[in-house]
Amino acid sequence: MTDTWPYLDVHQSRTHEPTPYEYKLAATLEEVYTREGHELADVVRGLNARQVHAADGAPWTEESFRAEMNRLGA
Amino acid sequence: MTLSSSATAEHIYATGLRNQWHPVVPSHFVAPGAMRKVTALGEQWLLFRRSDGALSMLADRCPHRGAPLSLGKHLGDRVACWYHGVEVEPDGTVSSVPGLPGCSLEGKKLVTSLPVREVAGAILAYFGDEEHPEPVALTLPEPLTDPGVDAFLCYAEWDAPWRYAVENLLDPMHGAFLHHDSHTMFDGDTTAKFRIRETGRGYFFEKTDQRGVNFDWVELCRTGVDWVDLSIPYPPSAGPGGPFGIVGMVCPVGERRSGVFFWRYRRVEDWQRASWRFLYRTLIEQRHWDVLEQDRVMLEAMPADADQQENLYQHDLGVVRLRRLYRAAAEAQSTAGA
Ligand code: FES
Ligand SMILES: [Fe+2]
Repeated sequence: MTDTWPYLDVHQSRTHEPTPYEYKLAATLEEVYTREGHELADVVRGLNARQVHAADGAPWTEESFRAEMNRLGA
Repeated sequence: MTLSSSATAEHIYATGLRNQWHPVVPSHFVAPGAMRKVTALGEQWLLFRRSDGALSMLADRCPHRGAPLSLGKHLGDRVACWYHGVEVEPDGTVSSVPGLPGCSLEGKKLVTSLPVREVAGAILAYFGDEEHPEPVALTLPEPLTDPGVDAFLCYAEWDAPWRYAVENLLDPMHGAFLHHDSHTMFDGDTTAKFRIRETGRGYFFEKTDQRGVNFDWVELCRTGVDWVDLSIPYPPSAGPGGPFGIVGMVCPVGERRSGVFFWRYRRVEDWQRASWRFLYRTLIEQRHWDVLEQDRVMLEAMPADADQQENLYQHDLGVVRLRRLYRAAAEAQSTAGA
């Protein structure tokens, strides 16, 4: 942290620089929300249709998506 | 002594109203066991945090000969002035004069210590003048205390007068122009009619013909601390949860400096909350920042006498009312000691 004026820091909410996986997931999520809808089922279907899978490569389920969001958005 | 009640109305208007709470800096600016020099309401202060987390705010002026305590040493539960070693406790009491033990300064409360509260990641302090040292009641913004609402604080420092920063928030129409190319304020009419609606704690300044499209309304709230509340729609890409809101506060740092506090909040729970938080951190925060930078560029470029040579129209009623309110308060405070 700096003591000098002015404090102008774009990122104040992050705990780390997002990984490539996180960037890709976020960008795809935005696209899914825009095109498919806002229900949990829409999101899981949309992500799987785009082959953007969980970090372990498995297709998303509602449970695994919820768990990943809770991890990344805690 | 600081914050004299004999200050002129002009000075108070320029450096911030007394006898109320103001935000100072984010809480994390002062780590446990650390201290930090800050400027607020045109004066120098020292934020001092004990290692157990307890925070205090002292005038940054040694009671001996006026050296800045912020150049001194953090002794865990006190600060020692670097110049001649006088030690001051967090409540402003001189605990020891090492050069002259037993000196009559010892045991006296000679340094102003402001009441502080930490709220949603920000330090708030009560800036009373000599005649009003006891803090006024503080009612916190509901979006910051409602458990169904989730908020991220964004703090920034601008070279602009505090009142320009507040006026900017009481001027929703700038959203459709200054922020037209942004992720949230691209939509909506560029003409509008506004009205003022009084509330028990301030007033709404709102469009009469459009809601939920752009930056269409704002509420000024004076609840011991001055804050605004407003709501702006998100595009569908932000996912479920509806619009995001902003609770805004401004720290009057000095005549041409402000600390701005924006809590971006959303009414979200469960996986929707987690999804918003993830997107916010990864992609949305940067876009919000770009919008805020447009405000900063504009406000910092405003001439110092901008509010002396204007031709206002109907959209400026919210600003006019704000100024009247603040001017009257500054007048009243300057004569409080007379
Ligand atoms: S000025 Fe601080 S100890 Fe003398
Ligand atoms: Fe703005």
